[in-house]
Amino acid sequence: MSVLAPIICDNGTGYSKIGFAGNSDPSFVFPTAIATRGQAAQASRAGPQIPSKPGHLASKRGVEDLDFFIGDEALANAKTPGYGVHYPIRHGMIENWDHMERYWEQTIFKYLRAEPEDHYFLLTEPPLNPPENREQTAEIFFESFNIKGLYIAVQAVLALAASWSSNRVTDRTLTGTVIDSGDGVTHVIPCAEGYVIGSAIKHIPIAGRDISQFVLNLLRERGEMAAVPPEDQLRVAGKVKENYSYVCQDIVKEFRKYDAEPYKYFERFEGEHSVTNRKYGIDVGYERFLAPEIFFNPEIYSSDFLTPLPEIVDDVIQQSPIDVRRGLYKNIVLSGGSTMFQHFGQRLKRDLKQLVDRRLDTGTGAQKSSGVEVDVISHKRQRYAVWYGGSLMASLPDFYSFCHTKEQYDEIGPSICRRYQIFGSAT
Amino acid sequence: MILLEPHNTIIVTTLNDKLLKPATLDVQFVDYDGVRFHLSTPDRKVANIIHLSMNIRCWNELVRYGANEVLQREYGSLILDAPEADYNVTLQLDLEQIPQDQESRDAFIMSIALFKRNALAAPFERAFETQKELESSSSTSEGDLMEIHYRDEEAIYIRAAADRVTVIFSTQFKEETDRIFGKVFLQEFVDARRQPSCQNAPQVLYNNREPPLELRHLSGLQNTEDTGYVTFVLFPRHFGNATTAGGTISHIQLFRDYLHYHIKCSKAYMHSRMRHRVAEFQKVLNRAKTEVATTDRKTASGRTMLVR
Repeated sequence: MSVLAPIICDNGTGYSKIGFAGNSDPSFVFPTAIATRGQAAQASRAGPQIPSKPGHLASKRGVEDLDFFIGDEALANAKTPGYGVHYPIRHGMIENWDHMERYWEQTIFKYLRAEPEDHYFLLTEPPLNPPENREQTAEIFFESFNIKGLYIAVQAVLALAASWSSNRVTDRTLTGTVIDSGDGVTHVIPCAEGYVIGSAIKHIPIAGRDISQFVLNLLRERGEMAAVPPEDQLRVAGKVKENYSYVCQDIVKEFRKYDAEPYKYFERFEGEHSVTNRKYGIDVGYERFLAPEIFFNPEIYSSDFLTPLPEIVDDVIQQSPIDVRRGLYKNIVLSGGSTMFQHFGQRLKRDLKQLVDRRLDTGTGAQKSSGVEVDVISHKRQRYAVWYGGSLMASLPDFYSFCHTKEQYDEIGPSICRRYQIFGSAT
Repeated sequence: MILLEPHNTIIVTTLNDKLLKPATLDVQFVDYDGVRFHLSTPDRKVANIIHLSMNIRCWNELVRYGANEVLQREYGSLILDAPEADYNVTLQLDLEQIPQDQESRDAFIMSIALFKRNALAAPFERAFETQKELESSSSTSEGDLMEIHYRDEEAIYIRAAADRVTVIFSTQFKEETDRIFGKVFLQEFVDARRQPSCQNAPQVLYNNREPPLELRHLSGLQNTEDTGYVTFVLFPRHFGNATTAGGTISHIQLFRDYLHYHIKCSKAYMHSRMRHRVAEFQKVLNRAKTEVATTDRKTASGRTMLVR
């Protein structure tokens, strides 16, 4: 029965986004964390519990393998004695399959309340995920959960598909550069016709967490944080980042503007201590535009990494095959929570355009380039772009024909999942 | 998590979110056994009026066994006269009418989240009532056999008698492995009841392939190797007062999902044992590898020569 909506499961390093196809937002967003019995560090080394005493099954083994929590509940139970929190996904890839299998089990039965045998699933994977991982995933989903059909999509491609919701997108292509910035790391991924150009991918070690830390540093330097209890400081910095920050077009002008009319531009943040309920407030000033500035001038935050984002994007495109470069410049798509700053797209577009134009001008020779179109696409669904792209794809009627079904899996085996037909290649 | 929860988590989280921050919404989701939900604000401008529609496959049967009355009792005026197209029943919630204090608010949201459970409770409640009537009239006749085809190939049969209520689940296993796991699991049910701690639990019978006597006369029963029948015999002590009866209903109607959940959990456990075993064997294999003796080869000038 295929009227039941496919399930979209986007398991990221930090958070999992889970829901049903056809909706505009995931039903659940919770940390990819699992709290199990036993020590946090070495539980996997000792192996799972084994039966201790003979007898019939019920007394033979306890229910330790059912005693675990996932998501927010896992973090809430982190301090309960006897539980240890694990993060089964590292750098986007699944590291601990035991934990991941149980994580999925509870996701499906406790949160989604779906009978997996009645549903198709769409899962996501990071670029450069080894095919063995896909096979493992397929094994778990087909053999443990008996699902009807499975599609594994590359996150970057789904992010491209999500940008189709923007009204500025006229032709629905799967060629473009994806800038995916989450909490831990920022990726710049070129895609051509739905295929990721693996050799040209670049990572930037600046993402959401660093921005929060930077805001915190700035606020401390200005002495604003004195009123805030230490345990709340990072959270307050995060709130300031989310609620007040924007990207300016020119720092110097912005500083002048603030100095001339501080009352107009400074914002007030009010908070409350979670335990004592004591109220506090801080003034939010230059942080508003300096926070996202670390993408464009990383030297203001740390000297470890100094290449600005526009330059990285330009490098990535220059390393891609020459025949797709035009398409990559024309369709730069943002995805992830740390690209949500106001005017982020405009600034990136302007800086990148300058870089490209400068290079074109220095070019010598008889033929003059006609110019390269650079466009950065921002849209409303940026925060959960990957999930939203999956939801879009899976609600198309021909989604089912792209999936590998249980019958095909039984016929061929896990290796069937090494290859998937690219979505929308016909549309 | 050993038992599945009777309430729907998506309804709880979405309603709680919307109470904090009213906004338009339009989400579709599912519950066990192919139940579909649609939670939406029908009028884009009025964010506080929310419709929750539900589609259950066996709705007509449930209505025959009194689902409308049960829902009427639970939700009263919240039920809309005309359900949304493509759905069987619709509730209309007004966020501004929801009680303000935390406790009654939680209770209200929980009652909404038990929408499916309440609809499915109707035939059970009717069976419990019939049992009481039969008991007081001390007749030996049995109540009607109620059939609820809640999935394509599976059904629940309920019949009340003077001293008990019999609930029979027919199950269908799609896969060979599942069938075996299920068989072992259900055998365990029967075995576990022998333990002194479980003496008060309802009696459980399991037959594979052959339908139990109560169902023999029915036509259209599947008679294949992957069909199984689980019979629960509920005695008056299991539904004597309202709280136990409620608990019994919540648990028993999720039995099929509970069974399948545990089959999947057992598989996951087996898989983790297998992975562990493979890792151990791999260590043994690695130890058994013979070391290739490497000798340094020197050139005349005394530098080491490497084979590339």
